[in-house]
Amino acid sequence: MLRKTLFVAWREFSSTVFTKGFLLGVLMMPVIAAIAIGGAALTDRLKGPRVSGSIAVIDRAGGVAPGISARFSKDALKAEKDKAAEAMAAEAKRQAEKFGLPPEQVQAAPAIAAKVVDNAMADADISIDVLAPDADAEIEKIPLATADARQNSDTPVDVRPRLALAVIPPGAIAKGADGEYATFDLFTAPKLDFQIKLRIERKISEAVIDARVQNDPALRASGHTAESIRELMKRPEARVASITATGEKKDLGVGQIFLPMAFMGLLLMSVMTGGQLLLTSTVEEKSSRVMEVLLSAVSPVQLMLGKIVGQMTVSLLMLAMYSGVGVAGLVAFSFMHILDPKLLIYMFIFFFISFFTIASLLAAVGSAVSEMREAQTLQTPIIFLIMIPWLLVLPISRAPNAAYSVALSFVPIINPFVMMIRLTGSEPPPFWQIPVAIAIGLATVVFSVWAAAKVFRIGVLMYGKPPNIRTLIKWVRMA
Amino acid sequence: MPDAIVTRNLTKTFGKKVAVRDLSLAIPTGSLCGVIGPNGAGKTTTIRMIMSIIFPDSGELSVLGKASAVESKDRIGYLPEERGLYKKMRVAAFLAYIAKLKGVDSAAAGKKAAHWLARVGLGDVARKKCEELSKGMQQKVQFIASVIHEPDLLILDEVFSGLDPVNRRLMRELIDEQHRAGRTILFSTHAMYEAEQLCDRILMIHDGRKVLDSTLAQIRADFDPRTIVAEPDGDPAAAAELLRRLPIIREVESVAGDNGRPGSQLTIRLVDSAQPPAALAAITAAAPMRRVELTRVNLEDVFIDLVQTEAGATISRDALRAADSPALEPAHAS
Repeated sequence: MLRKTLFVAWREFSSTVFTKGFLLGVLMMPVIAAIAIGGAALTDRLKGPRVSGSIAVIDRAGGVAPGISARFSKDALKAEKDKAAEAMAAEAKRQAEKFGLPPEQVQAAPAIAAKVVDNAMADADISIDVLAPDADAEIEKIPLATADARQNSDTPVDVRPRLALAVIPPGAIAKGADGEYATFDLFTAPKLDFQIKLRIERKISEAVIDARVQNDPALRASGHTAESIRELMKRPEARVASITATGEKKDLGVGQIFLPMAFMGLLLMSVMTGGQLLLTSTVEEKSSRVMEVLLSAVSPVQLMLGKIVGQMTVSLLMLAMYSGVGVAGLVAFSFMHILDPKLLIYMFIFFFISFFTIASLLAAVGSAVSEMREAQTLQTPIIFLIMIPWLLVLPISRAPNAAYSVALSFVPIINPFVMMIRLTGSEPPPFWQIPVAIAIGLATVVFSVWAAAKVFRIGVLMYGKPPNIRTLIKWVRMA
Repeated sequence: MPDAIVTRNLTKTFGKKVAVRDLSLAIPTGSLCGVIGPNGAGKTTTIRMIMSIIFPDSGELSVLGKASAVESKDRIGYLPEERGLYKKMRVAAFLAYIAKLKGVDSAAAGKKAAHWLARVGLGDVARKKCEELSKGMQQKVQFIASVIHEPDLLILDEVFSGLDPVNRRLMRELIDEQHRAGRTILFSTHAMYEAEQLCDRILMIHDGRKVLDSTLAQIRADFDPRTIVAEPDGDPAAAAELLRRLPIIREVESVAGDNGRPGSQLTIRLVDSAQPPAALAAITAAAPMRRVELTRVNLEDVFIDLVQTEAGATISRDALRAADSPALEPAHAS
């Protein structure tokens, strides 16, 4: 009895795993991930395009052009870049400390961040060409169309391409009759790097604001400058920590939502992959008419259990590999402290429960139809059911002990996923709820395997019109 | 020796259709029994019940002395009507897998598969995937799958369907070989001449009911048609006239001959008391004949007779025959 079931399981496992498709798919995944990460790192090293040219300014408001010129001076551009790198380095250090990285990594973080900024910010050699306030904007726009922003910086200043034309109306620094400041116009050459475009726009905006401050008698009298106002308006940062029974616990920020997502994703992926493979192989056995040959040697229940166990081993292998890669990644980046090893044990317990439940339902569907096409309609409700937890990741992980979270932990079929989200969420569920959820899960397994076996026994030899759900329920209720 | 298969009053219905009705039979151990009947007669349903793949609504059965085939699955070889292979699996691996499922130990399974493949001339395809085989090759592989574990009872459902004449002959040899090895064989076919050539015992099913269950020898004796086919050397009408005067002859009918000319051949029916050998001599003496032949019983005629009798002869003989005969086979085995 058991021997035959194991033979079926082994065939199911080997015919799935020892195929080029599976080996490539599973083994290539980490390689592809590594290439993607490496590729992303590489693009950071790439230098932005070097840009040189001039920006024409028609300052109809008066008082804005000097500010623009100052902001585009070589020194100002370099200072800006240095400041950005410095800020980035400080932020990197702060984040590294927040996640509790070891000291040597905290030390290294700023340098890496500064390098990234240095590479990301394009070198720019831009001169400001202040035109007469009454110049005709239409005429001055013309050179933009033919400008080539990538021209060599050695070109004499007077023939350097015009990258942009800014027209500042008087209303930009003095409120009009409606109490609003007017907008200014910025015309740019085509194909201008979008980052450069943003920087030009931002700098001109700042110059306009400076001029507004200068222009406001009240502010001038109070001694405020544009710079001091900017300082005042800077958003304060909070140092977030949650207080637990064992003391202060550093808040993990994004890590808080990353963990439930990762566990749910792993669980759902492995269960669904195995379930789908089981469905496909059952339908294949029927459509290739090998089913009755098998049934002359094994009973339908032996066959079904063998197939479920076989595919479960496939899924288990995938789950172990992926979570192994995940754990290795956490260890490599010294993030292991965010992961409680107990969670891995729970993950495997809930994997077994949800796999047996979902797989037996899908095996029943597979046995009832003759072709994959017919399986679609019948499996839709099952797929829909297990997609529910995906929608719940956010609400449950944010409130793991809310009434709805607790209630959903006791709903069969979805409760393994819900418990996984809660266990990895910010506050663990009361301990008693874990064994209760597991017990409900096990009862669901027993029921679904029993019902599936009934459908399977009748379904495997049925050909022709695919049954609907009502018929399947009727089969379950038949003795 | 006890019978290999015994059933008592088996009945199975699917919805409103009664597939098998009150079927009782006994297949003696060591016999080669053909289950015949037209498509939809209930052959496959009967076989599936014997195999415990489906269960009867009422009635009892015993297979190899057990109450259910489940208990003796490993001693039964079964070639289902709906048969197939794992397309992506290699031929030898498939056979070894089936052998292991049927209780052959893992070490021997591979060797047996190789042996059998060589035996049916498929030694060079052992490493090929099943989907690469021709239909005839697949049939042979399926046959091996049913005998690889050396079963005591072999049940073959529509074993000849889809085979070309060469492979048909090979299959007959293989079945005969299994029979000689002492195995009980039950095979179903809707082509009755196949059964006639192979079996020592016939079970006829029509509309879910058993209409005949006997040895072939007994059937030949019981249903002796007492008919002689003659081709006169000369004027057939004159010859017919001469023959009608003989007291041993009940009826003479002019039919179309092998050359297609109407009236060129005579079907001569004897009176019940006539002895066929004496009748043959009397006929040749009465009129010059090119050919005189004693017609042997033919299962198809027996079947049609039985069904007609049951149906009160409302169905025409030709209509039944047209429904049952395969197109390319002779209707008479003369």
